[in-house]
Amino acid sequence: MIGFTCVALANARPYISPEASELILKTGMENISALLEELGVRNKAIYLPSSLREGRPQALIPLTGTPDVAHIRSKIPGRLVVRYGDGPGDMALAVTTPGSINLEQLETKPGPNATDIEAAVTYVLTGLLDLANSVTVNITETEVRVEVSGPRLHYEDIWYYRCLGSPIASIVATIACEALGKPLRIAEEEYNRGKNNIRLEVLS
Amino acid sequence: MRAFNRYILFLVLAAFAVNTTIAFTSPNDLSVYFAVNVITFLVITVLHAYLNPRARRSLSAIGIVLFGGFLVIVILKAMEVLSN
Repeated sequence: MIGFTCVALANARPYISPEASELILKTGMENISALLEELGVRNKAIYLPSSLREGRPQALIPLTGTPDVAHIRSKIPGRLVVRYGDGPGDMALAVTTPGSINLEQLETKPGPNATDIEAAVTYVLTGLLDLANSVTVNITETEVRVEVSGPRLHYEDIWYYRCLGSPIASIVATIACEALGKPLRIAEEEYNRGKNNIRLEVLS
Repeated sequence: MRAFNRYILFLVLAAFAVNTTIAFTSPNDLSVYFAVNVITFLVITVLHAYLNPRARRSLSAIGIVLFGGFLVIVILKAMEVLSN
């Protein structure tokens, strides 16, 4: 019985080796980092639900200043450089994040409550990606606090992470924004005693 | 510890505990070993609901086969009781 289980689990591993996956992840990250660095963009990304984008949730990195969410148009076109408001400086980069793709693998869309978001994030981070041991989510009106235990990808002080957050925070932010149906931003991310504490600011 | 490792570890520990217990209580009945091991497998698999979809599909297939075997044992036992 245990032998059959081991064979079944071994066959369930992805076809792409972890080394190849890491290579692809780093290539993508370095390309976006180079683009952000070249443009001198230092603003934190705003994670938008799919209702504000064409089809899938994405992150909006404003090219100048911090945008007022009220000025974000109801639907932003599905391009890389987008105009999100009516002002001349209301331009941003719209990029796909790891969470945008993971969201398609969820069987049902999570509801706007802590339990559903926690279940969805746990499923993605623990089951699908095996990136963490467990996840706890707490929600208030203005913020979402997420504690990820045993994360296997940590925050690094690099350009990409400063704008978009670590891959784990990015996945959490995408799922939370899709569940709440509201844009949000990664306000804070810290790693302490084997736990990654992520604070997401709900923008509405 | 990774999800797969944790699942296998739980399964091995549970199988060890269950089989040791049965060995001290009813060592001569092979169907008891099989039935209890199947139930243990199904319970632990249900408790690890967060495994990825491909793993869950494979484990479900194994679960169905084992449950089929479990039903055969139950039917045989029922027939034995009824015939007596």
